[in-house]
Amino acid sequence: MGDHLFEVDGVHVSRLEDLRLITGAGTYAADWNLPGQLHAHFVRSDRAHAKIVSIDTTAALKYPGVAGIYTGEDAVRAGYVRGVTFLNFKGKNDMEGRIPERPAMAHGRVRFVGEPVALVVADSALAAQDASELIRIDYRDLPVVIDPEAAVRPGTAQLHESVPENTPFEYEAGDKAATEAAFAKAAHVTKLKMESTRVVPNPLEPRACLIAHDPKNESYTVHVCIQGMNMMKRQLSAYTKVPEDKLNVIARDVGGGFGQRSTAYPEYCAVMIAAKATGRPVKWVSSRTEGFLSDTHGRGNIIEGELALDKDGRFLAMRLNWLADMGAYLSPAGPVSHIRNPTTCLTGVYKIPALYGYWRLAVTNTAPIAAYRGAGRPDIAYAIERLVSNAAAELGIDAAELRSRNFIQPEDFPYKTPTGTTYDNADLPGVLAKALELADWKGYTQRLSATEKTGKLRGIGISTVIENTGAGMYPKDEVELEVGKDGVVTLYTVAKSQGQGHETTFAMMAAKVLEIPAERIKVVQNFNDRALIGNHTGGSRSMVGAGTVCHIAAEKLVQHGKSLAAEALGIEPSQVSYGAGEFRGPESGMKITLAELAQKREVKIKGEGTFGTTYPNGCHIAEVEIDPETGVTDIARYMTVDDCGVVVNHAIVEGQMHGAVAQGAGQVFGEHAIYDKESGQLMTATFSDYFMPRAGMLPDIVMAEHATASRINPLGIKGMGESGCTASLGALVNAVIDAVRPLGIHHLDMPLTPAKLWTEISAKRGTARA
Amino acid sequence: MYSFNYVKPGSLKEVNDFLASNPEARPLAGGMTLIPTLKARLAQPSHLVDISALEELKGIEVRNGALVIGAGTTHAEVARSTHVRDAIPALAELAFHIGDPAVRNCGTIGGSVANNDPAADYPAGVLALGATVVTNRREIAADDFFQGMFTTALEPGELVVRISFPKPRRAAYEKFAHPASGYAMTGVFVAQTNGGIRVAVTGAGPGVFRWSEAEAALAKAFNVAAVASLTMPAADLNEDIHGSREYRANLVRVLTKRAVARLAGR
Amino acid sequence: MAKVEIVVNGRKEAREVEDRTLLVNFIRDTLGLTGTHVGCDTSQCGCCTVHMNGRAVKSCTVLAVQANGADVMTIEGLARDGELHPVQRAFTECHGLQCGFCTPGMIMATVGFLKDNPNPTEDEICKGLEGNLCRCTGYINIVKAVKRGAELLQK
Repeated sequence: MGDHLFEVDGVHVSRLEDLRLITGAGTYAADWNLPGQLHAHFVRSDRAHAKIVSIDTTAALKYPGVAGIYTGEDAVRAGYVRGVTFLNFKGKNDMEGRIPERPAMAHGRVRFVGEPVALVVADSALAAQDASELIRIDYRDLPVVIDPEAAVRPGTAQLHESVPENTPFEYEAGDKAATEAAFAKAAHVTKLKMESTRVVPNPLEPRACLIAHDPKNESYTVHVCIQGMNMMKRQLSAYTKVPEDKLNVIARDVGGGFGQRSTAYPEYCAVMIAAKATGRPVKWVSSRTEGFLSDTHGRGNIIEGELALDKDGRFLAMRLNWLADMGAYLSPAGPVSHIRNPTTCLTGVYKIPALYGYWRLAVTNTAPIAAYRGAGRPDIAYAIERLVSNAAAELGIDAAELRSRNFIQPEDFPYKTPTGTTYDNADLPGVLAKALELADWKGYTQRLSATEKTGKLRGIGISTVIENTGAGMYPKDEVELEVGKDGVVTLYTVAKSQGQGHETTFAMMAAKVLEIPAERIKVVQNFNDRALIGNHTGGSRSMVGAGTVCHIAAEKLVQHGKSLAAEALGIEPSQVSYGAGEFRGPESGMKITLAELAQKREVKIKGEGTFGTTYPNGCHIAEVEIDPETGVTDIARYMTVDDCGVVVNHAIVEGQMHGAVAQGAGQVFGEHAIYDKESGQLMTATFSDYFMPRAGMLPDIVMAEHATASRINPLGIKGMGESGCTASLGALVNAVIDAVRPLGIHHLDMPLTPAKLWTEISAKRGTARA
Repeated sequence: MYSFNYVKPGSLKEVNDFLASNPEARPLAGGMTLIPTLKARLAQPSHLVDISALEELKGIEVRNGALVIGAGTTHAEVARSTHVRDAIPALAELAFHIGDPAVRNCGTIGGSVANNDPAADYPAGVLALGATVVTNRREIAADDFFQGMFTTALEPGELVVRISFPKPRRAAYEKFAHPASGYAMTGVFVAQTNGGIRVAVTGAGPGVFRWSEAEAALAKAFNVAAVASLTMPAADLNEDIHGSREYRANLVRVLTKRAVARLAGR
Repeated sequence: MAKVEIVVNGRKEAREVEDRTLLVNFIRDTLGLTGTHVGCDTSQCGCCTVHMNGRAVKSCTVLAVQANGADVMTIEGLARDGELHPVQRAFTECHGLQCGFCTPGMIMATVGFLKDNPNPTEDEICKGLEGNLCRCTGYINIVKAVKRGAELLQK
């Protein structure tokens, strides 16, 4: 039950945005319509790697209702050939990133199944699709490269002329020599090769856009799913060279994001071409299958890790060799998230004196990879936590004890890590102690023997993680507050909820300062009549950044209001006090409300803040039961203790944790984007083939908080939203491996499907029957 | 979807006549398979002939000791029916595990049986129970009806009208749902019928089939041990990204065991 | 083209549609009731769940012509006289929604299966929701909301 119930129109709701969403009054991207609009359908490559020999649109153009057909030629003519990739740092040996072109529709060559090749616009979506089948495309097939390890091997077919060895970037972090020296004197080295599998973000709302061109001032109105309007404008502008102030981006409700919405997709640019050429608004709504094929994917990292320990189980050094599959083209966020985020938290929650990591990006004939809930953070945490649990098992040390022995201690914070990061604050022993108690870690052996009596396998897994949240690409976050004549305060922010509940939490932040009910604050996350600097919602940053600025702006509004009230009341500002929406003078009856003030003159203020990175941390413990006859895993218990600093809304934090753990569990037990290695076809392009978590997969999660205030954020807030993913991969896989380790299995890659577990278990037991 | 014409004749006879004169027309019952197929543009019928409201295809009754279910009966109706629950509870249970509630509210037994999807649930029940499929032309024994993946004894224009299930002594259905689609990755229906033990397997192979070895073993001793020692040959079973043929062979054995355990106790 | 007459949320709607029009497109595009969502093309996600003659169906897998003469209720028709349906109340009270995209379908599916099983166990709730996908909540609060909705309905 939510611990914050608001009253909206006489109804108790846990979030202020809920009322419209539960009554069907939300407005998602496909819900917009404009008079005279045309409908778009993309023709997509049905092969993974081929030269486009010719495209014949003659018959399709004659189909009734067709208004235009556009191809890569049009994209090249428009100059829409390169999106932005945030790879603005140097790599190994000062290497510069090799960022290949990607015309908004494929030109000359297709590089993955589902790449847009042509766009048909017609009076109806069905007519556009009908006509698209009349387009004849001749291809000449090229060798298909799916496996990233094969892609970077010398001699493999190359995707882009500008990307030798299919390697757009190499990077290294840490001290290689010191690490090698530490490994040389280690008493024990544990090694694992781990894959953080490629998954599909699959927010439930398919991508969509509705774009209109205004020839009078060469501007575009773009209705689209976003995580924040600034990022969308910046990326669209980079792609199309249309100035940001000529792009009116409109979004109201966004049906989930998880990183997938942070990209300005080539499809949007292609629709801009059609809208301009036809002079009519053009609407495109993706099907789910198109989404599977062409939304950005997540993860896709192969990590070879080694951890060196001394004879007492103290960590001496860790070394990683990291290969990140980027898909056919570099997405805006893919490279940076899979390099920067792991580097930032390369030491995990541990004191590891020497660290070294080598990253290599690979391009393959697959959909581009970008950020997905955690964006590299779950991957690095998974690698470290698997190594630590593996070391504990090899050395016969309790997995919690080994962690505890190596924790960064509370007095060490702020802690500077060997890769130059400064962790702000944490109480890791406290987090662990609480988690062990909550999980009844000591009572596990009894639960184990109870399970064993049923013939099933049981395992317990732990994961103790930290991650970077809060910082963004924009130099600061701005929030504007404007008081209406009715006293309702409108709060403008460019952070855009895709389900996180900003309308509630941001309102709460300002409401607390203004001492007015949160429902008197209207949060607006999308507008084109004013410009605010600020980050999109992603990377667990919004409460740390924009949310905190809501507080700052509200304080500023009170100060500003005091001087306006002083004028109105004819007294000195120092004589004015504020409380509960009212400015008061020293004498009784001398007062003016926010509404009254706003009726006299404009009451508007902009707040801003820059806070840097906060480091939420936590410990998750999972217990699983595996049925060896079928390989089915049941998550029997799941406990979390999290330190996300000062919590603004506990219900929303819990909800974020639930969702993130579910996405982690989805990756662990079934989600996997699988391309056929020969043909490059995506084998999991529908919900009938791609596993999605369903009701009942997770037990009710037992949760506790163990907050230490952030020392970076003035309100003590740390980011959250992704940490459930970050911790759950390790906790769940460690639990499964703990269950099967007595059979001699020390590692299995995700997804741990029933079939995979049965195959491995029965092979070890010699019970496989063929 | 490609364009088609929708017609809704008022009687079975009109349907027969329409299908006879329009070879590219397809009957539409619950549409739970056909409409997704059309949406994916994998079929292009000239007409859809809506048979969902035909009285001749409705009704569940017990007649001469047999449970007779009209082809147009939805899965939800079968699952809820007291006739079915009393006569063959395993069949009600099978129906309750098809798809999801919305699918069960539309999908029909006739559609499922006529389509013969290799991963559908009903074919296992129909085959294991030794049911008779009654069409607009004739009666077909289950053993003759199912002929492999999406293939049945139905001739063009021939429609399933009802299915008659002789009451078994006992029966049980065990299903292992496909992790993504919810279809039967493997489903095993075990029935002790008056004609002997029948074990039908769906999902694992290219079409529903009877596991004769298990039937023979269970005829000798109807207990879990009789099945536990058997081996299901994997060679002819399905294999895909969700499981090898060996895994499916294992599921066949495990699910048979579990069905027998439910009927016989351990 | 076909003429259809469908009662939607208590209002008779007589329109002419292409035979291949799906019920969900009729609801969304013809009638402009955009609370019913489309989240997939394979009848898996349940975002488009509405009630047809009192039973939950996936409106992406029903033709508008099949609904001719039927009584259809969408999420917009669930609240009566400004009063939220108990299941709607339960979803917000239990924080059973985040992005809200799956929510109309979840609520319609819940109202549908609670008719058959007004007092479900947790396992039965999960079974009742197997045709509805959510990517945000991990379903934990949805299951709680369904339980709470069942309680509210019995009051």
